[in-house]
Amino acid sequence: MSGRGWKASDELLRLLRAVGRASLAYDIQDSHSGNMAVRWKDERGQERIVITATGSQKGDLEPSQICFLSAEGTDFGYYKASSETDIHARILALPGVGASMHAHVKELTAVTMNDAPKPSRPPDFAPVDTLGYHHLGRAVPVDWFAVPSGSAEMTRTVPDRLAARPLTVIYGHGAVAKGRTLQEAFFLLCVANNAGAVVRSMDRLGVDVESLREKIRNGPAGRFAPPPPAYEIDGDERCDFPEEEEILREFLKAGHRIFESRLSPFHTGSMSVRGVDSMLYAPKASMPADLRGPLLKVPLAPDAADGPEVKVHKAIYAASDFQTVMHCHIPEAEASAHFSYPGETGPCDRIIPVDAEGSFLYLAVPVLPPDFTPAELVGFLHDYKMAVVRGGGVWAVGTQSLSEVLHHPSSLREICHYRIAARERGLDLRRMEPAKARRW
Amino acid sequence: MKGRRVTTSPFPISGYHGRVLEADLTSGAVRVVPLDPAQAMDYLGGRGLATRILYDTIDPACDPLGPGNAVVIAMSPLVGSNAPTAGRGHMVFKSPLTGVLGTSNSGGHWGAGFKATGHDVLVVKGAASSPVMIDISPEKVEILPADRYWGLTTHETHDQLAEDAGPGKPARVLCIGPAGESLVRFAAVANDRNRVYGRCGPGAVWGAKKLKAVRVRGREKVAPSDPEKYKSGLDQAVYLLKQAPVTKRLLRELGTAGLVELINLISMLPHRNFQDCLHRDEDVERISGERLARAFLEKAGSCALCPIGCQRHTRVAGRDGRDERGEGPEYETMVLLGPVCDVYDMEAVTRANYRCNEMGLDTISFGGTLACAMELFETGALTAADTGGLGLSFGNAEALEGLVAMTARREGFGAELAEGSFRLAGRFGRPELSMTVKRLEIPAYDPRASLTQALGYMTSPSGACHLRGGYAVSLAFFGGAKEIPRFSLLQSPIAIRNMQNAGILQDSLGVCRFTGYAFSAEPWARMAGGMTGRDLSVARLEEIENRVATLERQFNVEAGAGPADDALPARFAEAPITVEGKERRVSREDQERMRRDYYRVRGWDADGRPTGELLRALRIETRRG
Repeated sequence: MSGRGWKASDELLRLLRAVGRASLAYDIQDSHSGNMAVRWKDERGQERIVITATGSQKGDLEPSQICFLSAEGTDFGYYKASSETDIHARILALPGVGASMHAHVKELTAVTMNDAPKPSRPPDFAPVDTLGYHHLGRAVPVDWFAVPSGSAEMTRTVPDRLAARPLTVIYGHGAVAKGRTLQEAFFLLCVANNAGAVVRSMDRLGVDVESLREKIRNGPAGRFAPPPPAYEIDGDERCDFPEEEEILREFLKAGHRIFESRLSPFHTGSMSVRGVDSMLYAPKASMPADLRGPLLKVPLAPDAADGPEVKVHKAIYAASDFQTVMHCHIPEAEASAHFSYPGETGPCDRIIPVDAEGSFLYLAVPVLPPDFTPAELVGFLHDYKMAVVRGGGVWAVGTQSLSEVLHHPSSLREICHYRIAARERGLDLRRMEPAKARRW
Repeated sequence: MKGRRVTTSPFPISGYHGRVLEADLTSGAVRVVPLDPAQAMDYLGGRGLATRILYDTIDPACDPLGPGNAVVIAMSPLVGSNAPTAGRGHMVFKSPLTGVLGTSNSGGHWGAGFKATGHDVLVVKGAASSPVMIDISPEKVEILPADRYWGLTTHETHDQLAEDAGPGKPARVLCIGPAGESLVRFAAVANDRNRVYGRCGPGAVWGAKKLKAVRVRGREKVAPSDPEKYKSGLDQAVYLLKQAPVTKRLLRELGTAGLVELINLISMLPHRNFQDCLHRDEDVERISGERLARAFLEKAGSCALCPIGCQRHTRVAGRDGRDERGEGPEYETMVLLGPVCDVYDMEAVTRANYRCNEMGLDTISFGGTLACAMELFETGALTAADTGGLGLSFGNAEALEGLVAMTARREGFGAELAEGSFRLAGRFGRPELSMTVKRLEIPAYDPRASLTQALGYMTSPSGACHLRGGYAVSLAFFGGAKEIPRFSLLQSPIAIRNMQNAGILQDSLGVCRFTGYAFSAEPWARMAGGMTGRDLSVARLEEIENRVATLERQFNVEAGAGPADDALPARFAEAPITVEGKERRVSREDQERMRRDYYRVRGWDADGRPTGELLRALRIETRRG
């Protein structure tokens, strides 16, 4: 390890600390697990690899736990740097890669485990949620290694896997992702964990996941709403409305809560506050502390260049008096939208709360098919304030504030939690639901 | 002067009787007109329906105190049901104080009593030549002489008329006091003794018509068309009312005066005719809801079907040393007769409040007018020679009670106060000292502490009214999840439009504003939809709210109001107050921007006029076709 590299720049230290803290907050690391690596040019313009120290607490990184290595791999120190430095070095050598990250994505790890005798290659993981499908691909490789940590075998295999795809799973040991930036690698790991959480929730609900996967293989277009926007790496610091200090604060508060309460994976979802002819818009709504996304001012008038996400915000505002809109990807809600009651064919068209607070706040939460029209969505939002799109996330609205609209998806996660727990315990959901809710 | 009950076919929509009662005081004729079902569904009831009928009945340019003005009181399909707080009536008229739409709301039991007579709406037109009252029951409607009640206080009138009704189901009485008879421009109409249609001077319109009282008795009922749907909304509403801290505790334990300490905490409590918001903590404590509960409260009370129970039944030592009993004061009264006049004497405020209720005066406009007079006096624009020797400096608590009676009877300097602060300040050469919007006195929330509140006062259809303009304090402090930034130019226009619309819905359903602390439109949509059996989804209610707001604006445009009337007094643009360490004012530029944006949000043109396109889209028929 180069002695010159002991001093991380403030900017770099802030980034690694922020992602480290966020990964702990999102529960995809234990206190000391995982590692992060980025390509970086030093003050003399020399390409270097910066990587977290082995055994460092990723939630509380110190400057001395950021290690600087040469990109050529000639002075790998191994005294302090991660035991998986060789793997990261090879990943960072891939074209266009600026960062890599390994995390213990527990939900995904859990659903990719099996009890087949080893050694054997586990099946690929096929996401059934829109974020996982569109950002990770229809099949994510899972590799079993005899020595699943920092081994030569991993150093050979993992970078090869990532040459063709953004993320790969190490059997029983989380996943590794590459990105143009560290934020992108972290984003992919969060999306992967979320994809695992969707499947795990489906398992607990008794949803036939394999059958769903088969349907997705045969016709993915009919199973998902329009794809989420591609991950943008530029402009995270952009803020078009610095003069609106109070609203800015509200965006950041809501963004933190979406992320930390796992209402949507890092830098996914969207939220907006409407003005008279423009809306203040956060296209990466899920924002942990110190890892903001762009905060934009967007005209309300439809624009041919509008992506599907912005279009829905504008369509809701055009057809209502609502002042705030939020879109999140709650894994428990996505799983619940695929639930079928015993003896019934087809997934449910509503999620009925069985807990006390959920029941009084929301008699029922409607579930729309993936090919919903904005008019249908607005109609449901008027009456229920929130709707789940099967294969497309949760949309919610507020008459006044971001805080108000945040409450809806937050409540929904709880509602789904109790339903899933009840089902897992073998309780009869139909008997627990108010009968009238079925007729709404 | 008798009217026979006219048999109409059963009304096709549950919740309505389908009967509009019209009384023409000029001719003495009474008739029942069938309610138009389409109009009922387009305007719902209460404020919406009353405004539609008023617009169709009078010329908005009419003389408010002439026989061409009318009073319309309407109930909603929920009044008469067991929906929480659904006993409120709404009264509209052209205001003699403001010259624009007068619109006022009251709780108590009169509303449900009127609905039980088998009518949905009362329209009073023309003017009698001598005092009259209207006596309404399902069996008959009579216009009766009321000379023997003329001159009585509201309490005396209520008690006398209730007693004169004889045995049977108790009669409910709506009446004016001496202030209405004297055409005080901010005279109120009282029901059930201490509940009042206070703002905009309805009492003066009644006085000009020589209408002393309306007495009602009846047993007619309404029942939901879809009981299950209705009950699901009802259950949710009741649960949430019992859950929200403001509705389950604050208002019951402290009454609305419980707001005094809290509004002071957010630097919104006005002082000395809105010169600042600075108070000593110990002074605020002296007029707080906490002290009221500790020292004066005998019991809490409720309006019809209300689980909240904010009424204060109080006792205070009279000036002669004997205990007096009455109701209140409410928060607005406490502040307008209190710190806005630099008075922190709860006994004096309470006694003055009792007198206002008895005389039939709006305490907000009375307090605002008195504070204006005090500032005129301190600046020398008004002298002891003008006041009949009365020293009207700020802080003169002793003068409060006597001035109520003088104003109500237009005695001495009271005749000047009876005109309201706009005319008073203008007459004494300092119009800028009137803290009014559209000539209506500003309530007890300083607009510099919240842009949303400021815009609400500016754009309220009736002038500076916290209820018709949007109950913005519930966004600034008590909104729970709905709290919004207080100083956002971007968010305020839509935020206040939505708050105003929420108020229109509550007023049109005959329910209390305080339910909004616990829940929004969804439970009401179920209850109203379940009651009527019609599509009253939240989207449909939203359309009704926008229709009513636009019709109210259309009325005011035809009454001569324009953008210049949608502005705050200069003080709020020029003299800052300090909020959380920052100087805050509502600059003219900010007012201009918010006003422009608000018009656009409403779909009105740059001069605040509803466009033809909007009127057509909302199916609003106007005189311009």
